[in-house]
Amino acid sequence: MSTAAPPRMSLLSLTMPVAMGYIPLGIVFGFLFVQAGGAWWLAVASSIFVFAGAAQYMMIPMLAAQLSVGTIALATLVVNLRHVFYGLSLLGRFPARGPLRWYMVFALTDETYSVLTTLPPDTPTRTMGTLAALNQGWWVLGSTIGALMGSQAQVPLQGLDFVLVSLFAVLATEQWRHRCTALPVWAALFSYALAYWISPPHALVLSIALSVGAALLWRQPKPEVAA
Amino acid sequence: MNTNQVLAVLAAMMGVTFALRALPFVAAQWLQKHPFVQRLGNFLPLGIMTLLVLHSGIGAAADHPRGPWPELAAVATTAAIQWRLRHPLLSILCGTGLYVAWRNGLLF
Repeated sequence: MSTAAPPRMSLLSLTMPVAMGYIPLGIVFGFLFVQAGGAWWLAVASSIFVFAGAAQYMMIPMLAAQLSVGTIALATLVVNLRHVFYGLSLLGRFPARGPLRWYMVFALTDETYSVLTTLPPDTPTRTMGTLAALNQGWWVLGSTIGALMGSQAQVPLQGLDFVLVSLFAVLATEQWRHRCTALPVWAALFSYALAYWISPPHALVLSIALSVGAALLWRQPKPEVAA
Repeated sequence: MNTNQVLAVLAAMMGVTFALRALPFVAAQWLQKHPFVQRLGNFLPLGIMTLLVLHSGIGAAADHPRGPWPELAAVATTAAIQWRLRHPLLSILCGTGLYVAWRNGLLF
């Protein structure tokens, strides 16, 4: 079995950076969830069945405020909308059918997406699936540790939930790095100002609608075509 | 938190998240045939992330009387570290750490 060793090594080296992020961030998630009044096993269940870091952070204050299921589902739609565009670049790389295909679709987080897209095109789907499962394992492990810690300790610090804003700032920075135009930022700032002026409680939904409108009106600069 | 309410929310979030991730795999031809999908894909992720930073940052600033300065400083710190070092955990920890220290009067 001389061929088994190298993939195993590279799997570990691929999943390690994700582990370094998911375990601590999972701990913070589990901790905040339990401190907000949730049962520890519900924090773990959300990491197993939802597996969407930013949306899970976002749901904590919304659950604490007893917002409706529909409201939280809509917010999840907004926060996770970017995932629609991830799959497009992985279409031919996933297994054609079977449970592994659907598990990999389910587990397609920002980090797993960025690791999978760096793999060589001939990577076996089993390796890709193992990688996705390892990544989710780190997130579930972190959430469990955090949830158990949160049920033991009381932390008097304010503002820990700012971790969600920081997470959004990181995702925005990465989107900025790969931008093809700066217009979305200007459209977002203008939309939000207008929406906030109209109705502060509905500013997010309104400004997203305005941004979608701007995106549809936007004429993408055409690449030069030789005549 | 009410357990049944949380379970209902988790089921809804699971459905929405999975549907979004699965959409390109079940509707690839439709998505690739329509140029507006490509336009949305190039435009929306950056726009929506900007809106989420704005909205959640303004929400945090409304919670306390120190104004928007801790939020602005923490977001700028997070973005600057991420831009330079591409290390999400480090960026998030530094930004959140600065924010928590500021909010709890450990800085001033």
